[in-house]
Amino acid sequence: MEHKFKAIQGTSRGYWTLVAVLALFTAAGFISTYLMFLHGVYLTGMTNRAAWGLQIILAIYYIGLSAGSLIVSGLYGVFGKLDYKPFARLAAFLAMLFLIAGLLSITTDQGRLERFFVEPFVHFNLWSMFSINPGLYGGHIFLCIIYLFALLREMPWLTKVSAYVVVGWAIVVHTGTGAIFGFTPRELYTSPLLPPSFVAAALASGAGFIICLLVGLFKLTKRHLDDQLVIWLGRLMAVFIIVVLYLILVENLHRYYMIGSREAALHYLFEGFHGLLFWAGMLLIGFIIPLIILFSPKGQTIKGVVVAGAMVVFGVLCERYVIVIPGLVHPADLFPGMEIVDTPAQFAAYTAVEGVATYTPTFLEILQAFGVFGVVGLMFTLGIKFMPILPTEARVPER
Amino acid sequence: MKRRDFLTAAGGTALFGGATVVGVPMMVPYTGIELREVTDLTGRRMGMVIDLIRCKNECTACLDACRKENNVAYHGEKDWDLHLIRRVDVARKVSVEHEEERRRKVLLMCFHCENPPCAQVCPVQATYKREDGIVIVDAHRCIGCRYCMIACPYQSRFFNYKHNPKDWDELNKERPTRSHGVTESCTMCAHRIDIGKEPACVEACNKVGAHAMHCGDLNDADSEVSKLVAAGGAMRLREDLGTEPKVFYLGL
Repeated sequence: MEHKFKAIQGTSRGYWTLVAVLALFTAAGFISTYLMFLHGVYLTGMTNRAAWGLQIILAIYYIGLSAGSLIVSGLYGVFGKLDYKPFARLAAFLAMLFLIAGLLSITTDQGRLERFFVEPFVHFNLWSMFSINPGLYGGHIFLCIIYLFALLREMPWLTKVSAYVVVGWAIVVHTGTGAIFGFTPRELYTSPLLPPSFVAAALASGAGFIICLLVGLFKLTKRHLDDQLVIWLGRLMAVFIIVVLYLILVENLHRYYMIGSREAALHYLFEGFHGLLFWAGMLLIGFIIPLIILFSPKGQTIKGVVVAGAMVVFGVLCERYVIVIPGLVHPADLFPGMEIVDTPAQFAAYTAVEGVATYTPTFLEILQAFGVFGVVGLMFTLGIKFMPILPTEARVPER
Repeated sequence: MKRRDFLTAAGGTALFGGATVVGVPMMVPYTGIELREVTDLTGRRMGMVIDLIRCKNECTACLDACRKENNVAYHGEKDWDLHLIRRVDVARKVSVEHEEERRRKVLLMCFHCENPPCAQVCPVQATYKREDGIVIVDAHRCIGCRYCMIACPYQSRFFNYKHNPKDWDELNKERPTRSHGVTESCTMCAHRIDIGKEPACVEACNKVGAHAMHCGDLNDADSEVSKLVAAGGAMRLREDLGTEPKVFYLGL
């Protein structure tokens, strides 16, 4: 069966409104980042204890979404599923854009932005996950470009080879991203299971995102999309969710069972805003309800799959939050077997926050996040106008 | 494939690829840190011993001295203040006649670990261990990613969220102030050690007559710190982590 691709016209009022809104986001992001560059990172909600915040959460979220998109693209490239060829270009394009978004989020998070473009390249530290990962990301974007190029030029041999390399590379990239946290000596970070669960959650969220985007885009541009293709993607997503659920279950059981980390596990699961996000946001909305939908008759309808996909996209964002924040706000156990008591009030100037810390993002920080979204959104909206990325139709061929 | 399609594809590739070509130069390994020779550092292993029994509860001499010596900004905002040395009060879980007997005022600082996780994770090698074992940050190289703060298991790293104030009451003109956006921690007053002086906190402690803080070379059999540690009862925090701190506590 012949697959045709055609760029969208992109002349409607709605299209240009979208471009304008995204440009506005971009401008807002630039302004807030510039303000932080001038005055300091205290403009965010980050503190000496919660030293990472929204931008890091979103960075690993975007990087995860990228892996998921790539897997959808790999259905054709690696597994040779011809039915999914129509989505291959779009998914590869998205994978690249999400990685750019991740890198942008990390960039805007730096305290000394001007050095970020020089020092990491000059003083490379092979031991640092933060040093290895941007190299992996850069390589990943580069490979995505080659892969996309092969897809756009319809070069079967290069498509096959680059698809294998890029999907393999994606797994390495996401293991590396999980290792930023998993390989750090903090009670709620250290875990060899974090990288694999990171990869699984990444694949689930990416599949969810691409389901929603595909259905939305095809509807907006009035192109034909066979329900069966989306439903099968929903099945794929369900498998990823089950793997994440299993890994998260084992991780937390271990944390709770070991006496040394039990207190931390209880803090992680039942205290503060992250406790709520863990149970309600991630488990219930993000994983359990989508699974129920996908395995019920509703999972055979396009509506059900889209709803489940949107929920997973939200749930994995919550998952990213509970990876980053609880490990920071939970205090390190500096004095095992001892209790920390109140310091007399007159010495308050000599004490730091030793107990449970808090983190609340500020308005400027959220603007920054919108800015990153704006940049990448613009790239996407312009990309599908100027490059033949969207298929004219996606049908399951009759066999 | 049509010429136009090719140009579109090539243009798109160039557009989105431009920023990412940076991946290649990143692979060049860094060869090492050149240290400006001030004193002979080789063979030395600087460490500290803090005697918590001698340390007086009401005294703030070392804390004040550190702030003054190193121009540590104090904004009065708990979330963003820097403490190169800070105070924590802990208590053993036992019953005693007087509450004070089980309480300890602990002075926490950078422990200058033998295996510093902060230096391990620093993506630009701005944090590094000197030859004499002191862990310091190059404030001119730090990019402010704060990974070292995440990796430090002792919460001893702080970040300059704000500029240092412009109107210092007592500015130590011999030491720099900081721009915002870089991390910072105790340097064991490396600038003083290099010219043969004691760290500011130790000097202040001796001045008030408490003699609770000692600093010296752990590799030197004649140093006070070696003898105090060898005498027994010296304790380091979280030895289970394998970081091997070089600040020892007596009487914790």
